[in-house]
Amino acid sequence: MYEIAASALLKEVMNNYFQDLKTRSKPLAWCTSVGPAELLRSFGFDVYFPENHGALLGATRKAMDYIPVASKIGYPSDICSYLTSDIGSHIQKSTPLTKHYGLDAQPIPDLIVYNTNQCREVQDWFSYFANQYKCPILGIVPPRHMDEVKQADIDNVSSQFKSLIPECERVSGNKFDIDQFRETLRLSKEATLLWKKTLETSIQTPAPISFFDATIHMGPIVVLRGTETAKAYYKVLSDELELNVKNKVGFLPKETSRIYWEGMPIWGRLRFLSDLFAQHHSAVVASTYCNSWIFDDFDERTPFESSALAYTKIFINRSERAKLTILKDLINDFRITGVIFHEAKTCFNNSNSRFGMPAKLKEETGVETLIIEGDLCDLRFFSEEQSTIKIETLLEQISS
Amino acid sequence: MQKFFLGVDIGSLYTKLVVINSNCVIVHSDIFKTMARNNKRDDVIDQVINQFKVDYTCSTGYGRKLLKAADLIKTELYCASAGVTQLNPIDKTIIDIGGEDIKLLKSDKNGKVVDFYMNSKCAAGTGAFITEVAERAELDVLDMSRLAAKSTSDKELNSFCTVFAKTEIMKWIFDDTSDEDLAKGIYISIANRIQKIPTDNSLPVYLIGGVAQYHPYLQNIIGEKFNVRVTIPEKPQLINAFGAACIAQKSFVNHLNPEP
Repeated sequence: MYEIAASALLKEVMNNYFQDLKTRSKPLAWCTSVGPAELLRSFGFDVYFPENHGALLGATRKAMDYIPVASKIGYPSDICSYLTSDIGSHIQKSTPLTKHYGLDAQPIPDLIVYNTNQCREVQDWFSYFANQYKCPILGIVPPRHMDEVKQADIDNVSSQFKSLIPECERVSGNKFDIDQFRETLRLSKEATLLWKKTLETSIQTPAPISFFDATIHMGPIVVLRGTETAKAYYKVLSDELELNVKNKVGFLPKETSRIYWEGMPIWGRLRFLSDLFAQHHSAVVASTYCNSWIFDDFDERTPFESSALAYTKIFINRSERAKLTILKDLINDFRITGVIFHEAKTCFNNSNSRFGMPAKLKEETGVETLIIEGDLCDLRFFSEEQSTIKIETLLEQISS
Repeated sequence: MQKFFLGVDIGSLYTKLVVINSNCVIVHSDIFKTMARNNKRDDVIDQVINQFKVDYTCSTGYGRKLLKAADLIKTELYCASAGVTQLNPIDKTIIDIGGEDIKLLKSDKNGKVVDFYMNSKCAAGTGAFITEVAERAELDVLDMSRLAAKSTSDKELNSFCTVFAKTEIMKWIFDDTSDEDLAKGIYISIANRIQKIPTDNSLPVYLIGGVAQYHPYLQNIIGEKFNVRVTIPEKPQLINAFGAACIAQKSFVNHLNPEP
């Protein structure tokens, strides 16, 4: 059975990250997953990411216990299920962090920072916690749904990044140090390029890492960007996968189709879906989701401008036209034969099947596309049997 | 020696089986309730396999993976395409309304599924929807097509939700709506549900599945709504099992004569 040996190290890295949060040796900032983490780290903050908690609530299937709790106080179950499950977990004073990492609760923030480059929901989500903890909250509100990111947009976001500095200095007790910011950004870029290299190993056949495995191995690039730890981890992982490519060892012995996963993972059904595709010798080799943590525009020489560009240019913040171009390039690079669009019921912003994209993509690339309905955390929106029939029909379509 | 091929469609409500000969002619068929705890299913299938000395078996439907005797397993959409194409080898749209789902597919003259849609959030517009709403309206489901044919009403149920549709139909009953108009209203709401799905109106439509078998008036409603020719093939409920049998027959030939 195929196994990625670096998984043991991944477990250690993630455990150490949470143990550090537990000891509270540094001030703590909460940040959105595609937010200005490097700037915060440069002030000496430890950084915690509530979206990572959302993914854990989804993967452990605890989300469904907590979502109704949030609904009762006015956050209905058809808005972001990261938000509702996270708030519900807080109200219930219960979290899978206890079982997995020994934390009694999410670590209490000294500062909360969000970036609405992914969605406006994060603003309300984080504001709830700022209110609960009586904690200062700062936000970056970039222009949205962009065809291309222009200089004026970079100037706008860059200036918003700079406006965070006084409050970060006050809360952290540290003066802003541009060299520290440059160094953090350099480390982040190196890690992100190694993550890119990791994902791109699956351009080869047999592919050494699936989308489903990548959603687990992406932990450090989300929570430890800007640290030596993340960089070191992705060096180990990419080296192992490159060796597997060289030895022609992949996660499937035989690939009859190569699938692209568009949209959020269905966290509570990763194993089920991974097994389903494997039974049909179908390799799910690339995704928008995992690619979203590649920030190759970071440049330590222009730290504010380049991070403003990198964080504003992300896929989810682009126009339909720009997204179509990005998808076409990835389909070509990874030799994709089918695309699954996951229409997540509670994540409108990260579901790209609602404005004709699947049909356009099929028309322009000739690649079969399929929409499956589900959700990132709330499995009540996912029909296992109906989705199985759809996926199996897609795979029959591709092979016939 | 004559060869026989079996197609088994284990649906949510009924299991359908079809045996064909090498010329794809049906020599035997059967329909019985699926019921997961009903041992009859395996017994009947084993009996048929022994009786005809079946050479190859293909299973389909929700329970497709349960059939131990299956040599191959295919989805209902592929079997629907194979079955209708065997009868009519042309480019076409197939609408399969089953007990708990609606499947709509575009199938080419060779039986390839070019595109497909399937409901996966809600069972409105399926056989279960008709049964539930007809029960509230106190209509005999088997008499609905006859009644609807007499109606000149174009009143429709607005709600896609089965439960809310039942509430809505109560209001119609309080308003003294005739049985004929009630029956037609239920059919119109199903056609409205299907109308939301992208279709190529230049292609003829084939309506199959259990609902087509027992509610032939849907052919008229869908024809009017889509402005296309709608055909219900003979024994529409058996088409997927027939398609499965056809796939078994072709696969058996390929199995004996593998490509070099």
